[in-house]
Amino acid sequence: MSLGDLRRMLDEKKLGAVELLDEYLKKIKDEDGEINSFITCLGDEAIASARLAQMLIDKGEAKAMTGIPYAAKDNILTKGVLTTCASRMLCEYIPPYSATVIESLEHQGAVLMGKTNLDEFAMGGSGTSSYFGATKNPKNMNKVAGGSSSGSAAAVCAGFVPVALGTDTGGSVRIPASFCGVVGLKPTYGRVSRYGLVSYASSLDQIGVIANSAEDAGYMLNVIAGQDEMDATSAKAELCDFTDTAKTNIKDLKIGVIKNLMGTQIDEEVKLAVSDAVRLYEKLGAKVIEVEIPSLEYALEAYYIIASAEAASNLARFDGVRYGYAEDDCKSYAEMIAKSRSAGFGQQVKRRILLGNYLLSDKFGADYYKRAVSAKNRLTEELREVFGRCDVLISPTAPTAAYGFDECDILKVCKGDVCTVMVNLSGLPAISIPCGVTSAGLPIGMSIIGKHFSEQKIIGVADVFEKEAGK
Amino acid sequence: MMYTPVMGLEIHAELLTKTKVFCRCKNEFGGEKNTRICPRCAGLPGALPVLNKEAVSLAVRAGLTLGCRINRYSAFDRKNYFYPDLPKAYQITQFEYPICEEGSVEVLGKTVRVNRIHIEEDAGKLIHAEVGTQIDFNRCGVPLIEIVTEPDFSTADEVVAFVDEVSRRLKFADVCDCRLEQGSLRVDVNISLMPEDSETLGVRAEIKNLNSRKSIRRAIEYEIKRQTEILASGGEVERETRRFSEETGKTSSLRGKEDANDYRYFHEPDLPGIEISKAEVEEIASGMPEMPQVRYKRYIELGISPADADLILADRDFSDLFDGAVRVFKSPKTIANLMLGELSRKLNESEKKAGEIEFSAGDLAEIAKMSDSEKVSKQAAREILSVMFDNGGAPQEIANERGLFLSDDKDRVALVVAEVLAENKENVREYKNGVLKLFGYFMGEIMRRLGGSGNPKTVKEELTKQLTSIS
Repeated sequence: MSLGDLRRMLDEKKLGAVELLDEYLKKIKDEDGEINSFITCLGDEAIASARLAQMLIDKGEAKAMTGIPYAAKDNILTKGVLTTCASRMLCEYIPPYSATVIESLEHQGAVLMGKTNLDEFAMGGSGTSSYFGATKNPKNMNKVAGGSSSGSAAAVCAGFVPVALGTDTGGSVRIPASFCGVVGLKPTYGRVSRYGLVSYASSLDQIGVIANSAEDAGYMLNVIAGQDEMDATSAKAELCDFTDTAKTNIKDLKIGVIKNLMGTQIDEEVKLAVSDAVRLYEKLGAKVIEVEIPSLEYALEAYYIIASAEAASNLARFDGVRYGYAEDDCKSYAEMIAKSRSAGFGQQVKRRILLGNYLLSDKFGADYYKRAVSAKNRLTEELREVFGRCDVLISPTAPTAAYGFDECDILKVCKGDVCTVMVNLSGLPAISIPCGVTSAGLPIGMSIIGKHFSEQKIIGVADVFEKEAGK
Repeated sequence: MMYTPVMGLEIHAELLTKTKVFCRCKNEFGGEKNTRICPRCAGLPGALPVLNKEAVSLAVRAGLTLGCRINRYSAFDRKNYFYPDLPKAYQITQFEYPICEEGSVEVLGKTVRVNRIHIEEDAGKLIHAEVGTQIDFNRCGVPLIEIVTEPDFSTADEVVAFVDEVSRRLKFADVCDCRLEQGSLRVDVNISLMPEDSETLGVRAEIKNLNSRKSIRRAIEYEIKRQTEILASGGEVERETRRFSEETGKTSSLRGKEDANDYRYFHEPDLPGIEISKAEVEEIASGMPEMPQVRYKRYIELGISPADADLILADRDFSDLFDGAVRVFKSPKTIANLMLGELSRKLNESEKKAGEIEFSAGDLAEIAKMSDSEKVSKQAAREILSVMFDNGGAPQEIANERGLFLSDDKDRVALVVAEVLAENKENVREYKNGVLKLFGYFMGEIMRRLGGSGNPKTVKEELTKQLTSIS
């Protein structure tokens, strides 16, 4: 059932909000033990929210998400509810305020069911670096769910929740969506407020949506999009109904296929699935153009430099003084922060912090960072030029399908971002939808990328594929 | 070998905005600890800064008062370091693109160049208590401007004169209340010695913790002595930060080169740049009061002495009152005398500020007019002013009620003079024998009997006449 269907069922009193919630809660109780998609599952609180929502429905005041359960990635702050970022550093942290997106959903009477698992502090592409243990891929329990929004993707895939919020800095909504065979939308940078999102890389982070269909992703985006006065980087962009896909015309749609991202670094089966998908669009009348984006050569490096540098700075506030993990028995401030941070952070996080500080250091005169920003700007320019010739771009979401837990070496996981980072670096919107399976039955995802603030268009294009492929 | 002191200043001034620079907490002094904090200024996870536009206006005003160029575009950077009073472990400042540059101020006949003025946020306050060190974040996030001069100073007098002049201008422009002792103005001195036969600057030391003009002088004096001794004995001055101690009158090393922080500056990704148009600068300029240095020139031209001009300009409301009165009745010297004499006395006694005076400039002008036209004596004028200050009322009425109008009744004067001389035959004889100072005694007695209505000029003439006629 789509979110729209749920809305109708609730409004037509065919289903009660508490009843709906109970179904999901039961499923989580029965099945999430192994999958480990939730860090915190709200039982009584969620039921209380559902009851309040039911009152709104009964009064005829229901909005889009009233009474509909959702989950939020555990790096999005929820007032009074444990928010851990999957880190020992915040394993007991209860924030005094909620993120703007959470407030928007609460205002509508949406039912927060729980906080989902992630790679610690959103750093990672496999979902295996959480303090609370890895998340398994519901499609194949021997494979990773992808990251860093591993829990949100697994929860939607397993049917624990009809929609979930994730965050995407270098592919963290799209990659797990791709691995789990669900839909992942990363909005344009600035489309959704970052206030209350624990920052990883400020110039790249965006809160995104993981759902069962493109239309559902749009449905949720309708609620969370909008300029926020608490976030100076949020954009004053015109809002529209992101589910209104009727205008989508595939005939004469100019689709750019990125040559650099269909080369040898991509698995054959993935390339095949994406090519087939592109051919389907062609049959419907789209024009396919092969495009080259030379600066893609530097995209991964530029991403890791910028993200690590910003992360090192953003995570410096975790010193155990005002909140978070703090080592006892320290004799000085320096000792306290060194010990707390050493014990509080996992390996992956420490690696990025060290790398980030090293790159920003006096030693290099911040040269690396500046050059990475230069590459980022050049990439953005090239994409702007490409969008002068194309309406959307299509690429694989990831070079592979989900891999095993023993195949997670750092380099491999990092290279897993090769298709996704350019979207974050340029701030463009992108949606990943399933477009096939491997011979081993693992989902393959393709990304549809649009111009800034063209979420309605990419959702529409994705929707067409879903409907056609479903036939 | 002679050495010339070469000094530059870094002055931090707290801006008089209503709220803090990146959040809506009130910008006030004192109060219960940690009561003016929020997730943003306390550095909680997920919080984002939003720029307070009032801080920008005040920074522009500061730039205009010091003759700076207001940059069309300026931006924020992060200065990263760990310290308990810095909750985000970075300070948001302007490193690369400051808001103002290239100004200058004339002091003691010398032009001191202002290199830049930039906006940044203040840190919290560390309180050393018995339980340990405590942190109060009330001050954290208060907007500061940092004013950096070129190393144009050679004497302590110049430094203090500059601090005085800058303070005066910033107070006039309502930018800062410039209280060195309270810390709303902080002055750091960079000082090195240049050998007389050289053109290259020596190694400089930075001196902090200068809480009064006296401390500034003492610190400079001590530093010159300390550095001279080092250089004279063939040693090298260390590039370091030193702290001045008021108890010992000496400076001691705070941080050396080894402890120097690597600030890893990079552009603040959470804040867009500041863009100010020429029209906006003009609007800010037109809303500013006339500057003290401009008024000073005017006062000199009006015949006011430099010392008196500075006294009038110690407070803008005081100066405004003077200007207002002179506009009504152009007698600057009389008005200045009344203000610097009786009015200043009353203000000190009552501990009121000039801005709290209830009578108008017109009222003051009226008293001056009455004095100049000899309708009342100078003494009476002061009395009227005093009464008006205490109880209000119009000058003419006060003079009437108290019988202060000088009578031109020459007959009455002649009568009283004759009376006094008749009662003091001994003294008259002594006067005639050469004890001339008795004239004053007679004057006093006659004036006393005439009450407030004695016109000293008339009395003097009559007394002289009568004394002369006595053989």
